[in-house]
Amino acid sequence: MSQTEEPADGEAEPEESPARGVDYDAIEGLLGDAVVSRETHRNAEGFVVRADRVQDALSSLKEEAGFDHLSNVTAQEYADRFESIYHLKKYDDPTEEVSVVVPTPRDRPVSQSAEPVFRTADWHEREAYDLVGIEYDEHPDLRRILLPETWQGHPLGRDYNQDKPQIVTFEEHENPLADDHRDADTMLVNIGPHHPATHGVLHLKAVLDGETVADVESDIGYLHRCEEQMAQSGTYRHQIMPYPDRWDYGSAGILNEWAYARVAEDLNDIEVPEYAQVVRTMSAELCRIAAHLLALGTFCLDIYGDFTAIFMYAMRDREVVQNILEDLTGQRMMFNYLRLGGVVWDVPEPREEFFAQVREFLADLPNRIDEYHDLITENELFQLRTVDTGVLEPETAKEYGVTGPVARASGIDYDLRRDDPYGYYEHLDWDVITDDGKDNYSRLLVRMREVEQSARIIEQCVDLLEDWDEEEREIQANVPRTLNPEPDAEVYRAVEGAKGELGIYIRSDGTDTPARFKIRSPCFSNLQALPEMAEGEYVPDLIATLGSLDIILGEVDR
Amino acid sequence: MATAPVAIAEWLGYATPPLWLEIVLDAVIAGVVVTIMLTTSALAGPWAKRKITAMFTDRIAINRNGPGGITTIAADAVRLMSKELIIPDGADRPAFDIAPAILPLSALLGFAVIPMGSGLQLADPEIGLVYVFAVSSIASVGMVVGGYASGSKYSLLGSMRSVAESIAYEIPLVVTAASIVLLAGTLRLSDIVAAQQGTLFTVAGVSIPAWYGFLNPFALALFLVTSLGEVGRNPFDIGEAGTELVGGYITEYSSIYFVLFFLGEFLHIFLSGAVITTLFLGGPAGPGPAWLGIVWFGVKIWAVFLFTQWCRAAIPRVRVDQMLEIGWKGLLVLSFANLVLTAIIVGVIHT
Repeated sequence: MSQTEEPADGEAEPEESPARGVDYDAIEGLLGDAVVSRETHRNAEGFVVRADRVQDALSSLKEEAGFDHLSNVTAQEYADRFESIYHLKKYDDPTEEVSVVVPTPRDRPVSQSAEPVFRTADWHEREAYDLVGIEYDEHPDLRRILLPETWQGHPLGRDYNQDKPQIVTFEEHENPLADDHRDADTMLVNIGPHHPATHGVLHLKAVLDGETVADVESDIGYLHRCEEQMAQSGTYRHQIMPYPDRWDYGSAGILNEWAYARVAEDLNDIEVPEYAQVVRTMSAELCRIAAHLLALGTFCLDIYGDFTAIFMYAMRDREVVQNILEDLTGQRMMFNYLRLGGVVWDVPEPREEFFAQVREFLADLPNRIDEYHDLITENELFQLRTVDTGVLEPETAKEYGVTGPVARASGIDYDLRRDDPYGYYEHLDWDVITDDGKDNYSRLLVRMREVEQSARIIEQCVDLLEDWDEEEREIQANVPRTLNPEPDAEVYRAVEGAKGELGIYIRSDGTDTPARFKIRSPCFSNLQALPEMAEGEYVPDLIATLGSLDIILGEVDR
Repeated sequence: MATAPVAIAEWLGYATPPLWLEIVLDAVIAGVVVTIMLTTSALAGPWAKRKITAMFTDRIAINRNGPGGITTIAADAVRLMSKELIIPDGADRPAFDIAPAILPLSALLGFAVIPMGSGLQLADPEIGLVYVFAVSSIASVGMVVGGYASGSKYSLLGSMRSVAESIAYEIPLVVTAASIVLLAGTLRLSDIVAAQQGTLFTVAGVSIPAWYGFLNPFALALFLVTSLGEVGRNPFDIGEAGTELVGGYITEYSSIYFVLFFLGEFLHIFLSGAVITTLFLGGPAGPGPAWLGIVWFGVKIWAVFLFTQWCRAAIPRVRVDQMLEIGWKGLLVLSFANLVLTAIIVGVIHT
């Protein structure tokens, strides 16, 4: 693995100046009079920008400073103002970050939309409007996104009345039998919210011209469970960690937990012992294998149209991983294994037995992968179905903030495990998988190869753990019972989840619960790119493309 | 079979069997045969299907009720029939009610001319083969009517796909069958079976029968693939396409209507198995006494059925445009090539 920077320092001392290679003064000069003031967040400098100059600021950052990745948009309400924060990164080097902070007055929370600069801002700003109540000028389609159109109030706003009962029937929200007022030559087909191929509760409004998809719009929010609100009412130390397991519930629990662990450890200056980092790395990669196997199985289910051998084989192999994870964490799905400062307990005794179990799985894995390649990727009919369908160009992918295997299958060499190192990844020998196919086939291939790489990582972790001196097996740092980070500290951190960049923004207010807890879900951004990939294709390819995106609605809707 | 009516007619005091007696006897025999066919295919069919698919996909499948879970099927039958029959608001009746009956009906009519061995053949018209194709293609009418009358877009799409599929695959199917007619020189199914009685050649003491499947394996392969498309099984199950069209033309059907559709599909797979057996696998021919014919016939039908289940468990579904391309540009050309080739060979042999 190539080391381009000095990430060891950056990781060990989050207190260090956020400027990891970014010349913020030059940026301030670049933004010119759009900047009102400057504030320092833990991860990057934040430039406070006038609400009517957002597009100018963002486009000069994008075009001239190279910040081509709008990772996240956080919206929040203070006592005296609303605030939208645009978290920008570079696809080439995600350690170079900058935040654009846009305050708007409480009595008139209108700010300029970033959508013309970054397509991905479309959904992010709709969410900000929906949950917090900020309005965006020049936004093409400012509607609610997670909540029904008839919802009263903005739940994360300060004036929101939580006790007011709100019942919205499906007909009121989205009448499936409503007349379609579009072109008479087309037909509106509601795919979902209950449909075998939506992998959860997703509603695709597909306009078909014969069998061809003329237009598709995703209607999300059916699985919205107020995860951000719940995290905001939990204490840092213990009460938040169980929630991440429930975002991407497709076996990726520990990867999600790590997102919270990373951001909270940065916020509270917690050092994680090396031993715990190795255990974390191993368990997280086990989760990644399980999640990718699930993705493989369900994608083939979409293509084959039946519970075929492949789906069952994927489930069979995933079951082995689940058993290992169950032995390690005590849970099959909702692991709740990480703690701030480490992990909850060491690998189970007898250790030899546990490691033998892991090694047995790893030894068998190459045969399994070969079997999958025989069954799937080398099958001509399968290639006929997947090659050159659902093409996502890298430029488009970047516009939409696409990350994870979906981005890597479009040839974007972006993996936070390598580019923004955390845990123990930088000391291990593994490769980031990319593919230039850009189609459904590539996305499957990338996931299958990532399984192999995860196996490599796990093997090295097991080697390390086996030889670890018994006296030095420190599984948790000494973390105070109550964590009260300093007031008004703001931090945004991301990890490489199973589906891509899973980020969390936290603003503290000096108490033991976060004042704002914002989740950047990779599936949310990836799903947004679906129309770009599916329009002009046949219905079966729309389904296949959706499957290849590997979305988990629990993470999209949060 | 011809002796039975004569004997009964003599017993009743007639010199030759009167027409009414023939009709009554035929109806009784038809009733018995159809009942047997129905119960075996409706009970053993889904059971075997589930068990076999489970074996293909590394599962156990039903095993709670009865030996190997076979009585689960009876419980399923009760369950399906006692379910609420939901008829959508937008349904176009009575078309919606007629459609489910058409599918099994057309398959059952097809069985009428199949020589099943042990003397079981309800009718043996000169144009037997044409008759089978004619009645079995009525099934598409059922799909179209059902899909259109459901008033659902999924059903409509599914039925449109099914029709396109039927048209694209019917022609190569018939053309491939025509090559067998050239070999046998007749359309009468019993004669086609009789023409396959001899021995093709003997290898190390094992005599290979002169089945057309051995004589022209290419035609058999072509016919197998084409009939997969005709009955709408993987990789050509685009009319139902569970993950895309959630069942296609059967989306809106429930309870007994659903059962009828389901039954019709199974019967169609068995019918295409019966046609393949008759045309390519020597019909009821097999070792042992002649009365074992029905057993051999059953074994061969089941072999074809197994093949469809194997495809289902292992092959991805093709897209609608790809399916039509395979049908029109691939199978049609190949089937005509096969026909011309067979015609030349038959012509050379005859001169």
